[in-house]
Amino acid sequence: MNGQHMKNEAIAVTNKVHWIGALDPTMRTFDVILKTPNGTTYNAYLVRGSEGVAVIDTVKAERADQFFTRLEAVARYHEITAIVLNHLEPDHSGALPELMRRAPQAKLYISDAAQLMLKALLNNNDIDYIPVTTNDSISLGDCTLRFLNTPYLHWPDTQCTYLVEEGVLFSGDVFGCHYCDELLFNDRVGDFRFSFEYYYNHIMRPFKAYVLSALELIEPLPIQLIAPTHGPILRDHPQHYVQHYRELSTPHLHLERDRDTKSMIIFYISSYGNTMHMAEAIRDGAAEVGGFRISLYDLEGGEVEPFIDLVEEADAILLGSPTINGDAVKPVWDLLSSFSKINVKGKVAGAFGSYGWTGEAVRMIDDRLRGLKMRVPLSGLRIKLIPSADELQDCHRFGQDIGNFLIGKPRAREIDMSQL
Amino acid sequence: MAKAKIKFADVNVTVTVPVGTRIIEISEKVGSYIAYNCREGDCGSCLFTVLEGAEHLSKPSAPEKATIFAHFQQILDGWRSANDMESLQAMILRENFAGKNCRLACQTQVFGDATVAPL
Repeated sequence: MNGQHMKNEAIAVTNKVHWIGALDPTMRTFDVILKTPNGTTYNAYLVRGSEGVAVIDTVKAERADQFFTRLEAVARYHEITAIVLNHLEPDHSGALPELMRRAPQAKLYISDAAQLMLKALLNNNDIDYIPVTTNDSISLGDCTLRFLNTPYLHWPDTQCTYLVEEGVLFSGDVFGCHYCDELLFNDRVGDFRFSFEYYYNHIMRPFKAYVLSALELIEPLPIQLIAPTHGPILRDHPQHYVQHYRELSTPHLHLERDRDTKSMIIFYISSYGNTMHMAEAIRDGAAEVGGFRISLYDLEGGEVEPFIDLVEEADAILLGSPTINGDAVKPVWDLLSSFSKINVKGKVAGAFGSYGWTGEAVRMIDDRLRGLKMRVPLSGLRIKLIPSADELQDCHRFGQDIGNFLIGKPRAREIDMSQL
Repeated sequence: MAKAKIKFADVNVTVTVPVGTRIIEISEKVGSYIAYNCREGDCGSCLFTVLEGAEHLSKPSAPEKATIFAHFQQILDGWRSANDMESLQAMILRENFAGKNCRLACQTQVFGDATVAPL
């Protein structure tokens, strides 16, 4: 569908709510990392109450014309009493300065965490706003907008706004996707599941714990319709999408009988078997500690995506790489470069590897792991060429130390900062 | 250069550091559970507790105290809205420690021996 066919009309969503957003069917890459084959929508909404009109979110600056034309079809600027921004990213705040210029009497409502961002995004210190959080609400006469503080979905500032009388959840980017169809509603646009899943995986997945916290606020609400800021408006079985978010965000291993048992994964790649032998000795050392699952995987035998699924569920991740041309090898970097797709912060981590001349790989991996805010209790273990019996003992001890660290019984150590 | 010993109780590691080193420069290198985010004293993620030797650490600045207070305030608000009085009372007790035993790892410098742990 092409947005130009739509004549910039506002679309009635419920009795009180109109969609006044913008279509962007030609956009292909979003935020550098996201692809979309049919563009996206920037959904903004207008809520008309008996004693006030609220605009919920705006659109990307480049699509502001569509937004203002649609707004003007259902309201006059002097009627607007409230502007709510659920998320300040430029694709939702782009038309805000102009909207505030046209409706200077309107009060702006943003989350607590949005306050500092607002100034940095608009480079204007003179904006008046009212910070709101969970259970705060504003009245538009016969309509009540209640706020839900739902941070890190996917920025610190994100919140949801609930229209109590009609059960409409203005969810921001939560439950959204980059999918553009002027038919707008989930029961009319066809199969958009691929886009919904893709969006969750790239935007929400690193913040699963925050999704679960937000669902605690969202699930008790008698939701009739979900109005996200991108993609189809979810009026058909909206609860289905809420349930789906819970399924996607719940750790898989927590559903199993052994839910409290921790997991360690040792990944390695090896050209002559030396790093592999190190991996096996580390595994044996860790196994001696016991009390947690240990899995050993050769990176050569698999693809990044399933490995990332494993990393997401694991409590400790060790990575072994030889050094080739002064660097860790590409499959290791491929895996490491995908760690930011999930939340690895606070997981226990470590590096090891055999090398021929200089052995830079292990320290590079250590730095990357620390840079990702993983907890690296021991400096990586490097062994020149073929590990001797003594060196395999070092590997064994390395595995033991990491294992003891993982189960909360770290060996006492005294070190000088220069050794770190 | 004068040295001091800082112990991270959660990971059982004692590190000898040059006087003036910030806690976060060490905590992240020994795998301590002390979390961090902004490293600028704004976010409150790197709160930790001083178990021994508070007098050997740099004094908290006004912005550090403000960040710690804001962090506690936020938790307090959450519990108040959830009507969780028991946690609220526990929180008030802990809040009294803010700026004394609770500090930000990205702001606190080591001037003498001390023992610290995640909050």
